Amino acid sequence: MIAPAFIWMIVIPLLGAPLVYLVGHSGRRFWGDRVSRYAALLVFGATWVAFVRAAQAASMEPTADFTWGGMSLALDGISLLLAFVALLLGTFVASFSGEYITGEAGQEKFYAMLVAIVGVMIGLGCATDLFNIWIWFEAMAVTSYLLVAYYHTRALSLEAGFKYLMQSAAGSVLVLFAIGIVLSQTGTLTLAEIRSQFTAGAPMLLAGVLFLVGYGVKSALVPLHTWLPDAHSQAPSGISAMLSGVVIEAGLVALLRSIAPIAAQMTFWGPLLITCGLLNMIGGNLMAYAQTQVKRMLAYSSITHVGYMLVGLGVTFLLRESSGAQGGLFHLLNHGLMKGLAFLAAGALLYTLHSASGDHKPLMIADLAGGARRYPLAALCLSLALLSLAGLPPFAGFMSKWLIFKAGFASGDPLLWIVVALVALNSVFSLAYYAPVVNLLYRRKPSKVVLEGRPLPWSMVTPLVILSLAIIALGIWPDMIGWMTHSAGEALVAGFHF
Amino acid sequence: MASLWVILTIALPWLGGLVVWLLGEGRSKVQHFMAVGFSVASAVAGLMLLTVITDEVIVSIPMGTLFGEFTFIPDMLGVFLAIVATAIGSLAVIFSVDYMRGEAGLGRYYSLVLLFIGAMVGLVLSGSLLALFLFWEITAFCSYVLISFHNDDEKAVRGGIKALVITQLGGIGLLVGALAIESQIGTYQISDFLSRFQELPQNVLIFIAFTFLAAAVAKSAQVPLQTWLPDAMEAPTPVSALIHAATMVNAGVYLLVRFYPAFEGVQGWKSAVLVVGLLSALIGGLQACFASDLKRALAYSTVSQLGFMVFAIGLGAVFASQFHLLNHSIFKALLFLCAGSIIHALGTRDMRAMGGLRTRMPFTFLTFLIGALALAGIPIANGFFSKELILEHAFHNGPAWAYLGILLATGMTALYVVRMLRLVFFGQPGAYSIHVDSQRAMKVSLSVLAFGALTSWLLAGQFSSSLLASLPYQTWVDLSTVEMLSELIAAPGTWITLIVIAASAGVWLFWKTRDREGQRIQPVSDFILAGLGFEHLNHAIVRGVRALSNAATLTQTGQLQWNLVGLIAALFLALSMAVWSMT
Repeated sequence: MIAPAFIWMIVIPLLGAPLVYLVGHSGRRFWGDRVSRYAALLVFGATWVAFVRAAQAASMEPTADFTWGGMSLALDGISLLLAFVALLLGTFVASFSGEYITGEAGQEKFYAMLVAIVGVMIGLGCATDLFNIWIWFEAMAVTSYLLVAYYHTRALSLEAGFKYLMQSAAGSVLVLFAIGIVLSQTGTLTLAEIRSQFTAGAPMLLAGVLFLVGYGVKSALVPLHTWLPDAHSQAPSGISAMLSGVVIEAGLVALLRSIAPIAAQMTFWGPLLITCGLLNMIGGNLMAYAQTQVKRMLAYSSITHVGYMLVGLGVTFLLRESSGAQGGLFHLLNHGLMKGLAFLAAGALLYTLHSASGDHKPLMIADLAGGARRYPLAALCLSLALLSLAGLPPFAGFMSKWLIFKAGFASGDPLLWIVVALVALNSVFSLAYYAPVVNLLYRRKPSKVVLEGRPLPWSMVTPLVILSLAIIALGIWPDMIGWMTHSAGEALVAGFHF
Repeated sequence: MASLWVILTIALPWLGGLVVWLLGEGRSKVQHFMAVGFSVASAVAGLMLLTVITDEVIVSIPMGTLFGEFTFIPDMLGVFLAIVATAIGSLAVIFSVDYMRGEAGLGRYYSLVLLFIGAMVGLVLSGSLLALFLFWEITAFCSYVLISFHNDDEKAVRGGIKALVITQLGGIGLLVGALAIESQIGTYQISDFLSRFQELPQNVLIFIAFTFLAAAVAKSAQVPLQTWLPDAMEAPTPVSALIHAATMVNAGVYLLVRFYPAFEGVQGWKSAVLVVGLLSALIGGLQACFASDLKRALAYSTVSQLGFMVFAIGLGAVFASQFHLLNHSIFKALLFLCAGSIIHALGTRDMRAMGGLRTRMPFTFLTFLIGALALAGIPIANGFFSKELILEHAFHNGPAWAYLGILLATGMTALYVVRMLRLVFFGQPGAYSIHVDSQRAMKVSLSVLAFGALTSWLLAGQFSSSLLASLPYQTWVDLSTVEMLSELIAAPGTWITLIVIAASAGVWLFWKTRDREGQRIQPVSDFILAGLGFEHLNHAIVRGVRALSNAATLTQTGQLQWNLVGLIAALFLALSMAVWSMT
């Protein structure tokens, strides 16, 4: 059997990861520290080729599948979208992290893990049965613990990694229970078959709830989010970008895939997801408003943005048509770009203001004062990211939020209209903590830290600029990516198997 | 050809903004030159739109199935506001050449001003609700960054964020209204909505009418969301002129007029608009009587004058409101730029520290006087005609309380105008030292605007007939300039108004209170300047949110056992919801 193109998107990074480690580890003596980064970029380049071929194949035939032993994989809209975001952020993070990680011991491990986590996430998106989703999910979790606790000599980052591990492990157990229940009720774990095998009732509902809470830990549903601010602020900034931009969303995809076949028979899930979304938005916003550290503020804002996505997805669960999911998944993509940019820009400033001179202090919001005078591009990119996150046009965040709003209104249900108004209100509220940061960056009088800061290397600035351009381009021409979000939304609806 | 002018009017300022920004710091001469060039070019393109007035879609950009088409229609209503935006905008840019000389961050300043102008043009020419909302939000963004242009100044930052948050709150109204329309008629096109609004269920139409009103109230700084406008005075003065006359605040009035045919019949909508306008006219006027900061006094007067326009829409006098908008944008820009000139020369905005400027800045005095006459509604100056039209409508078509109320507001206008003139230009000179009148570029802007303030009323007839010709859903009376004149002279209302104006002006003219001002009535004036309690409301809301936010952070203990409690709580919550859903 000939493997379809998309399999290579998974195989290349998974085989590449150990190679990156080996090349980095043994090649360091000959080629210096940088070799592992170049090796990682090379692997990503090869994966991009596979991605383009898979996308081309998908445009001919929307779904492709592949079975190997007990493992079956299939490519649909959601997997393609997740693969795109993961690969994109992975590539940017690898090219950004050169100077950031230089000087740290074991950077070959960093790049190997980065490559691995991208491969695993693409695999997660392609899994077609509950057990395999869980396996991929655990593989992703294991890789991300190591990346969060990358600074393994610092107490705070070990603490963050440990909390993350404990909470995710607790969640995982719940997922296993849920899988057990589904198997006992339906006799199958294949997503496509579950729907025809079960009768709605308490056990399946319980399984769904366990999926929600179990995967909800990873996708930072309030009140399961408590690990996230620590993890996102303690990880190296590139990893914060990955975690926030795609890893928590991968958790969301695992959740959606698992509950979609169960949800088809019950009206309960739409309102539940929308409630979760509202909780996330309000909780995330309120806590972000009080933050004084840049990365913690961004971390809380990720919780809020998962809320926006959940509302969009919840509308699809409720109305059983794809427009809400298209909005939610478009927001997933945009959030990956915006939050990735925000964390990388904050990381660049953190590096140049603190890390480069050897101190491990966090980047405070007050440190940013006057940043635009010395670091005009980094400051501009950070400002763009924040304004886009707040949903101002002409940036990408506006367009995806608009689609979510639109989907909510399409139903004509007044309760949903109120939900939309609440979402919009939250979006306005978020300006109250994003806008002051922008003002601070553009002060004339720099903070002491800025005055003492080092120059910013181009290798860090270039990814920021490209990401900013992407955000503006998507804000002006959202339909550019419509083919991907459309098929992803349709794929989610197809997952219900009505 | 038509599409070319439409595109140029929007694209020229934006392109200019990009160019000025890319030039980078340290090339201030070129930046000034480029900014003026691009803004004047866009004003020319805007004027050229007059040759292509139509009610049909001229430019259409397909944005994909989910976003509809972005259409642009150069009808007279849109073109008129586009000309206001570009022409007054370009005068503000010309004025900035002197005003902003030597300031840091010129690139940022000019590029945002030009972005602002372009966005406003886009807003008024958009035929698609989504495009309208998009431009609406961009203007909010621009006003925010320009108000807090001096980022080191805490007050400027707070003013900017306040403007952003309040206008965005109103923006939610436009958002949900637009989405409601789209969900009902399946298209974003405004003309489709205006031709088919009868198909909508009555309650949905009511919903839309009032959400749009909320959006307009926030954008045009009407009661109860007016508090952001006075605080926006921390902006550089040409920006104030831009916000008050050319762009921002006109958008709200525009929205009401654009959708007037659909909302006209909605129960209670017109009365609500009337009341909002009247209250704003009165409260703004009252505050202007007490303000001691020159720019704040002008800002309050903007709230009040916008109140007149909104009031007129509530009466159904849509043409009068648009005519007043045209005149107001000219004389208010003039007044703001004069104020800018004075502030630039004196370095203070406090009117009590001015005085006697009549002889020190004769040119500025003359132009300010023309603007002041127009604002007060003295004949020959343009403000008289439009204000008189509004009063005339109130006299004939409005309830008695509305007429009396707006008459009172007219009196107040005369009162604060005379007070302003006296404090700034007459009396004993304050402790300032200046030797220069307005500088050259400033003079150019001021002369053009002063000429406009004296003559723009001559356009009434032309304006009215082209509005009628290109707006198929509006039903206004066609009114030629001569008709307007003869009507006004014959009407008894005119004479009542003039007497009220003269009386109020006289009160202040002959009342020698300068030394005692502000002492005996301190508590009253404090209360009035604090927005009659609206300001306290704002603060209370901010404090409440802050407290809530601090309380929320308590849940982040950082302790693993509590984190796991969260997990159990989530399980419990979700399970109880599940059980509840099954019963």
